[in-house]
Amino acid sequence: MEYVSPEGLRLDGRRPMEMRQIRAEIGAVAKADGSAVFEMGNTKVIAAVYGPREVQHRSQQMSDQALVRCEYSMANFSTGDRMRKPKGDRRSTEISLVIRQTMEACILTHLMPRSQIDIFVQVLQADGGTRSACINAATLALADAGIPLRDLVTSCSAGYLNSTPLLDLNYVEDSAGGPDVTVGFLPKLDKVTLLQVQNLLNCVILGRFSALVVGKMDSKLPIDTFENVMQLAIEGCKAIANYIREILLENTKQLEYRRGL
Amino acid sequence: MEEEGKVRDMVTPGEVLGKASDVRPGKGTYAVPYNDLVYASLTGIHHSVPPVPDSTDQRPTVEVTDHKAHGAVPETGSVIIARVTKVMAKMASADIMCVGSKAVQEKFTGIIRQQDVRATEIDKVDMHSSFRPGDIVRAIVLSLGDARAYYLSTAKNELGVVSAESMAGATMVPISWTEMQCPLTAQIERRKVAKIGG
Amino acid sequence: MLHSKTFVKKTRGGKVNKQVREHYLRDDIYCGAPICKVCDSSTARLSPSASTILIVDTNVVLNQIDLLENPAIDDVVMLSIVLEEVKNKNMGVYNRVRALCSNSLRRFFVFANEHHKDTFVKEMNKESKNDRNDREKAFSNFPVLTSKSIELAIRVAAQWYQTHLGGATHVLLITNDRENKRKAIEEGISAETIESYVKSLDRPELLDLLVQPTSEDVNMVEVEDLRPSKRKIMYTEHKPMSEITSGLHRGIYHQGKLRVNRYNPFEAYVGSESIGDEIIIYGRTNMNRAFDGDIVAVELLPQDQWHEEKSLSIAEEEDEDEDVHLVPSSTDDAPRTTSLVQGSAGDLNFASSHPSGRVIGIIKRNWHSYCGSLEPMPMPAGSGGTAHALFVSKDRRIPKIRIHTRQLENLLDKRIIVAVDSWDRLSRHPSGHYVRTIGEIGDTCNLKQEIGGRDTESEVVLIENDINSRPFSSQVLACLPPLPWSVSSGDLANPIRQDLRNLRVFSVDPPGCKDIDDALHCTSLPNGNFEVGVHIADVTNFVHPGTPIDDEAAERGTSVYLVERRIDMLPKPLTEGCYQGEQRSLAIHWVHIFTDGIVNFADVRIEQEMTPDAEIISKRYTKSVIKSCAALSYIEAQARMDDSRLMDPLTTDLRNMNALAKIMRLRRIERGALTLASAEVKFQIDTETHDPLDIGMYQIREANQMVEEFMLAANVSVAGKILEDFPLCSLLRRHPTPTREMLEPFLRTAAAVGLNLDASSSKALADSLDRAVGDDPYFNKLIRILATRCMTQAVYFCSGDLSPPEYHHYGLAAPLYTHFTSPIRRYADIIVHRLLAASLGICKLPPIFQDRPQLTSVADNLNYRHRNAQMAGRASVELHTLIYFRKRYGIEGPVYLTTRSEKGGGEWFVDEQQQKIRKMDGSLSYTVLQTVKIHMEVVEPQPNRPKLQLMLI
Repeated sequence: MEYVSPEGLRLDGRRPMEMRQIRAEIGAVAKADGSAVFEMGNTKVIAAVYGPREVQHRSQQMSDQALVRCEYSMANFSTGDRMRKPKGDRRSTEISLVIRQTMEACILTHLMPRSQIDIFVQVLQADGGTRSACINAATLALADAGIPLRDLVTSCSAGYLNSTPLLDLNYVEDSAGGPDVTVGFLPKLDKVTLLQVQNLLNCVILGRFSALVVGKMDSKLPIDTFENVMQLAIEGCKAIANYIREILLENTKQLEYRRGL
Repeated sequence: MEEEGKVRDMVTPGEVLGKASDVRPGKGTYAVPYNDLVYASLTGIHHSVPPVPDSTDQRPTVEVTDHKAHGAVPETGSVIIARVTKVMAKMASADIMCVGSKAVQEKFTGIIRQQDVRATEIDKVDMHSSFRPGDIVRAIVLSLGDARAYYLSTAKNELGVVSAESMAGATMVPISWTEMQCPLTAQIERRKVAKIGG
Repeated sequence: MLHSKTFVKKTRGGKVNKQVREHYLRDDIYCGAPICKVCDSSTARLSPSASTILIVDTNVVLNQIDLLENPAIDDVVMLSIVLEEVKNKNMGVYNRVRALCSNSLRRFFVFANEHHKDTFVKEMNKESKNDRNDREKAFSNFPVLTSKSIELAIRVAAQWYQTHLGGATHVLLITNDRENKRKAIEEGISAETIESYVKSLDRPELLDLLVQPTSEDVNMVEVEDLRPSKRKIMYTEHKPMSEITSGLHRGIYHQGKLRVNRYNPFEAYVGSESIGDEIIIYGRTNMNRAFDGDIVAVELLPQDQWHEEKSLSIAEEEDEDEDVHLVPSSTDDAPRTTSLVQGSAGDLNFASSHPSGRVIGIIKRNWHSYCGSLEPMPMPAGSGGTAHALFVSKDRRIPKIRIHTRQLENLLDKRIIVAVDSWDRLSRHPSGHYVRTIGEIGDTCNLKQEIGGRDTESEVVLIENDINSRPFSSQVLACLPPLPWSVSSGDLANPIRQDLRNLRVFSVDPPGCKDIDDALHCTSLPNGNFEVGVHIADVTNFVHPGTPIDDEAAERGTSVYLVERRIDMLPKPLTEGCYQGEQRSLAIHWVHIFTDGIVNFADVRIEQEMTPDAEIISKRYTKSVIKSCAALSYIEAQARMDDSRLMDPLTTDLRNMNALAKIMRLRRIERGALTLASAEVKFQIDTETHDPLDIGMYQIREANQMVEEFMLAANVSVAGKILEDFPLCSLLRRHPTPTREMLEPFLRTAAAVGLNLDASSSKALADSLDRAVGDDPYFNKLIRILATRCMTQAVYFCSGDLSPPEYHHYGLAAPLYTHFTSPIRRYADIIVHRLLAASLGICKLPPIFQDRPQLTSVADNLNYRHRNAQMAGRASVELHTLIYFRKRYGIEGPVYLTTRSEKGGGEWFVDEQQQKIRKMDGSLSYTVLQTVKIHMEVVEPQPNRPKLQLMLI
């Protein structure tokens, strides 16, 4: 299967290093403390944040930091053919966990002890890169909710098909079975907080992870390409972060106007 | 130019606000010890507060005030602008829109009880000839009230309906402190009118 | 840059569901014309002086690819939508167009019109999806357009080009679709059919390359009208695709690949998964215009007809006197059920149990070009005009093809290539067109060889097996190290390369072998152990991944050994030069760079008795520099070992190694490794004329076995090493265990001559093969040949694609095996070298290993090339056997018993149990594997298709 034509165009007409169109909107759920809709091409995700508020179950309360909870779900209509997915299936649980961990790492939880922050994300339309879109939407919603953050964590995926690194895979490219990475990134702090790798030959994964964990960088494994792909994903994250900042500033400006200041 | 300045002062989480040796991290900011930098943790306006003259720490404090934290919360005694949502025999309920000159972010509801509509003849007040749903009312916060609503009062000359629409849909003109007239149909409706500019 | 998106709908697999895909329209897609002032011309492909730019329609690309490949057609804009459509319809043509577009010598430019903001066309009238193609496309995975929209898109693009480039350049739309052409002209685009365009070029030879369009072409109809007798319907109509699909769904029809019997073109097999058996198709009528390799839909005949049909099989088709005789060739492609035909007339009796059927539709054509010659015919009057001729393919499985030519007199005595265009139900033969000439026909019956003729025949062998024998391109040669090459001080100083020049290394190879890629050494260690080193040429030192030389080698896959020549995988300096040192210069550097796989053997009690103890104690892999002290041939090595007077160190080494090898071999055989055999013949070729002088069996000596043993050991240990480090991306070689059914005919044949073979395991089979000794010294060999024929071939594979139990190599009885020892002539070995180097930490693993589908496709290509190389080798042997035939070795093929003229009729009777054929009157009977006397001659029953005929005396 040819995912990149010899003319250098992908199936949907993008070039390898191009992202899909992104669009974001703050305040989609009025009742929530913070909310946002985030679109990456045809992937559309809504996020709502409640909190910091009182902990629901006393047993979960932490005296030194806030409890962050996350619930990820996919709308039944999100994949087009109305697949009825049982709630709380393995994939959802896993993505919930991934998002929770990523967000937790950027929230200044110690400022809000004995409280709870709930993040709800739902995929309204899925076309690849849902994980990334969810993280981006959650970041916007958290910022909207006025929850103190270390940085705006953003996420983007990149893959490797037809010997070409591709940024921001759509569903067709994602399901091609090629290696891909999803990176969560703190742009101002220049830190990678999430790295999920799929379908890389496991030698690469092992090599990379051992390099990450043990810090042994003289691995003999072919991590060059991997690094390229990851760098590409990081560039994508930076671009998304710039966009998110713009949206946030625009939103704040609007509010200022409304307030008549 | 002034607008430009404001935009520049707006920050988003993660932006560097200064060196920890130069500034003191205040509200909406945090310092990272190992690289000696102060970052913003909120989206909002960044400003620095000069140090208290006699404190030992002579660094200015940087703060980020986000729109949520702007004290748009009604307090006892503050004058608010509210929109009447429901008029009942003994009271009218209203949504608070502004506290002073600031818009509120969240929804606060207030209640104007029959006895708080005006200062005189308080037992003869007919709620329906004082307010109609949709009226914009200036009121004062009496107390925090119960769990659901603030208690509001219009029992002063300068308080009461400031803007109302007639049945015909036009904005009415106040003609006395109890009446307003529709400019289209000349029909007169009864309200507790606020005295403005007087 | 990203403009807008559109939504497309698709359906698939019975269920209808909506799919939404983004489609970005861009403004940075350039027109490819260097004269254009607006566009970025750095990627321009068209010629700067082009006065006319051609835009071709899908039908032109699909049908006229041979013409497009002709250099006379240039400055062509390929629209991406056309390419996409071509890809959907015919992958083969698509690949050829792609090759054209990437060929730097041709000026073909691909314009991504679907993504250009001005030329994008939204799909129109969705309801019109009623023609067959469109409905088929609806099942594909990607959004596709209806042919109407494609035509519109082509016109829009043509229009855009014309306005974009202005008046300076003439944009010509070439289409064979009348409707499209009419509309184009209406819209003010100049359009022409391919015929009129070619005519306007005034190049008559190009006209031959034109494919005659089927229904539309007026001339064709006229010709048919002149011969009304021919207009009768020859074949039944193919069922429409929808009916086939539903039929397959309901189990009435069966889908499979049609394979024509190599020995009888009127008999074909369709391996059907749905009934788990092979369906036999008898006769051209039942084959219904299907070619070998086509994917067809088959309908089973009623069971009572299964029997009758077979008698027709050979008698039929009176007009094509294809008497099919003994052919020395392989049975690789023949169905398993006929594997028993060696010596028996199995063909005539096994059919009853097999279902037979007829083809009702062709799902996918396997048409490509074929080599062959024209059937001799008198020159038609008024030559110079066009003539129809029948083309006879070299491959017997292909029916005759009717072509239309204007150069008949030139072609009659030539080997030519012809491509098939169509086969309608009114004509007996498919129609095709001339592609190119290979050369003069080699008259193989005539011993007075014309050099050119024989070369042509060899060329045919190469073309038929898709072997690239072109000289290496300058880009490839530019990758070579500067010559004369010698080991530099840099190489010696390199810490990854050990200096082992002090070791007594020698090579043992066949006499006259020039591409030496392995060497050995054997040192006795003080503790009584031996250190044996296997040194393999370090080709990867010169062939780096991603370079043109690497791409070329990957594409060629293997060197091909024909009888008279060798087609190298790598350029000559690499195969013969660098490792050998420069022998032609005065200073002879006998210095080599080799990758080492040093294997330490220990055998404590090697002194007198050969206790099977040659355990491997440790293995070491390293890159090194070695210096060979002797290049021995097998004969020399054998002579040294046998000569008890020689006590020099080299001979001692040889003897030690031989002793170790014997133990290893014994152990391998005990594990159940099979010694298989094939009828390998060897020619002695006249060095001047390249004519075969003598023919003989390849003789195997102990020295051969010794070298072979160490190579096997090296391969096995390397396989283990790379798999350990790269469990998912190693390239290994496996040999699947033959199934019971595959061995069945062989066991029956053996039983008929009183041999009881046990095939329960490879070990049991090996043992019983050893016991199978007859009176004839040749008997055992024959049995082994039969056994080999039953088995599938060993194949390369990517370790990630299969589970470890499937890695097994049956023939060698090894759980893991790979190819490591011949990097000069096999690309697989180069890959394995890189894997090994990466696993040793010497270099990084090239990116290809991360892309498993790509690695799998490399493995597939290697298998394909390997098989083709083998086929070509055999075909070459066959060719030379015909050229020079006086001997009597190892010929196989089915025997057809025909009643010889006056010797009196008499039916032949086949006894399946005893594997005998008897004459009805009992006067004669033949048993399987019985020695018979035969008369043998080269006959030419059909012109230009010589073959060997054997007659029992």
